[in-house]
Amino acid sequence: MQRMLEGRTTAWADLPDVEMLRERAREIRMRTISDLDRHLADFIAAFEARGGKVHLARTAEEANEYIVDVCLRVGAQLVAKSKSMASEEIRVNEALEAAGIRPVECDLGEYILQLAQEHPIHIILPAIEKTAADVAELFSAVEGAPVSPELEELAAVARRQLRKVFLSADVGLTGANFAVSNTGSLCLVTNEGNGGLVTSLPKVHIALLGMERLVPTLDDLAVLLQLLPRSATGQKLTSYTRVFTGPRRVGEMDGPDELHVVILDNGRSNLRGGRYEEMLACIRCGACLNVCPVYRKAGGGAYGPVYSGPMAAVLVPLLVGLDRAPALPHASSLCGACTVACPVKMPLHELLLELRKDLVEERVASARERLGFTLWSLAWLRPSVYRASTFLGRLAARLGGRLGPGRTWTRGRELPALARRRYRDLR
Amino acid sequence: MVADAELLLREAGHEVDFPREQVCCGQPAFNAGHRAAARRVARTFVRAFSRDRPVVCPSGSCATMVAHYLPELVGCEPYEVWELSAFLAQAESKLPARNTGCSLAYHDSCHMLRELRIADEPRRLLEGSGAQLVALPRPDLCCGFGGTFSVRQPEISLAMADEKLAGARAADALVTADPGCLMHLRARAARTGGQPVIHLATALARGARP
Repeated sequence: MQRMLEGRTTAWADLPDVEMLRERAREIRMRTISDLDRHLADFIAAFEARGGKVHLARTAEEANEYIVDVCLRVGAQLVAKSKSMASEEIRVNEALEAAGIRPVECDLGEYILQLAQEHPIHIILPAIEKTAADVAELFSAVEGAPVSPELEELAAVARRQLRKVFLSADVGLTGANFAVSNTGSLCLVTNEGNGGLVTSLPKVHIALLGMERLVPTLDDLAVLLQLLPRSATGQKLTSYTRVFTGPRRVGEMDGPDELHVVILDNGRSNLRGGRYEEMLACIRCGACLNVCPVYRKAGGGAYGPVYSGPMAAVLVPLLVGLDRAPALPHASSLCGACTVACPVKMPLHELLLELRKDLVEERVASARERLGFTLWSLAWLRPSVYRASTFLGRLAARLGGRLGPGRTWTRGRELPALARRRYRDLR
Repeated sequence: MVADAELLLREAGHEVDFPREQVCCGQPAFNAGHRAAARRVARTFVRAFSRDRPVVCPSGSCATMVAHYLPELVGCEPYEVWELSAFLAQAESKLPARNTGCSLAYHDSCHMLRELRIADEPRRLLEGSGAQLVALPRPDLCCGFGGTFSVRQPEISLAMADEKLAGARAADALVTADPGCLMHLRARAARTGGQPVIHLATALARGARP
């Protein structure tokens, strides 16, 4: 993760004018989001004109229903998956398995997690906390024979297992990093090639697209592609950058027979037209995770089973409701490093501050907390009462260290020493 | 710390007034989302401070609150507010060298670094006072205080403090220009046996060595 962080800062520094590029990227994303209905309509028209099938899914359930229906219709028994956070969000693997269809993750990190039956803890590097020994143990179980924790051998095992899946899968299921509205194209960036194998070998390709992940033109895509890999891993480009436009046409050699896109809402509409709309500009690069001092200590699992880091602390309460994720806006010391690192200049720490205000004003924050701050503010409203409170503070410090927040403080820290004489009295 | 700040300002040749009606800028409540409570307390700032002279504050976080958030919160005109080291640096203050032979590590508190963009001035002042600066491995990394964060997520808060303190082991003292960071790091060091954590004003006014 440190390597990713340094990778981004070096890659940004190598750009002739990264601030100008960030500004352009932000402008493209915000312009698209503020006119999303039109861009979606353009995308759908272009996608369908090239022979693709579009399904609009308002909820995770609707998305899963459509995906399962397509798979059942073509008699699919095996689905090869390329990495998709949106697919984790809707829990499509569970839906497929319930319908008797076997999904196999073909991104190496996701494959490892699938074997371990765990969730991703980083949106770009899903299994980053796994060691070679952990992976060797999982792979030994799959192979039915001991696998050594040597990287070459682990890669060889993965290749052996996944090749079988690529060659026999009936359906390929991917996400999409971006969709281009005027050409009806989908763009997928990977480092491992699963994006290509999953989309060209099976007869059917289904892409799951968050409704906000659009850019208007290929030129706009080029701006975002200059920033996405640099911000995620420090690479100028990932090993494979693919732009798909339509299924295989008559006379063409490559491509699936059927290309479907499931355009997913699942709460994203909640952000449109309001104070949080700019969160929809997120390009899921993970730069905010890599720079976050809280993520660094807490790890991804602490934020939830899908998204993590600062982007999750903002997005998840907005998708699922503040009452279902009340701790997330406070899973931050508000240091602002995320805002500095965001390639599309989302003011993440300011959005967190705004969400904290909502927690209080919508009374999701506890009555005790609200009362505590109200009482504090009434006491510190007048200098005379403030003076009395500091007097009491000195007297009752030891007691305060045993109650409520004071007790939490003193579990790991000494109490701060209050001065014997107030500065204002000495002057 | 406040007495140290006043001493430095006087040594730099300024007349210093301390409005006795001041209480707090309201930031603890503001950062926790309690706007109404914050507004109530922030009004004490407006009542205490006039605009006829610059306001100097030995706290990066309070200076940020007053400069960037308070006017909109209470609905008043902006103030000319300076964080202490920035004020001393712009006035090209020549202060006595009280840290000769001392090695000091400086922690960039988040408001100073990212909101106020003050990073050089404290270091130049410390070097000017004779100190040798020891670079922290990650001076930009948050210390883990974050106001209520320190008690909402105490385990993470302490882990962040420990990383910061570990990085300063080679120095005689860890210096910060923010009372929030100071209180948290010092309280943790007092429990775990780390080296002294002192405010920038104290390091400059009295020297880092006890």
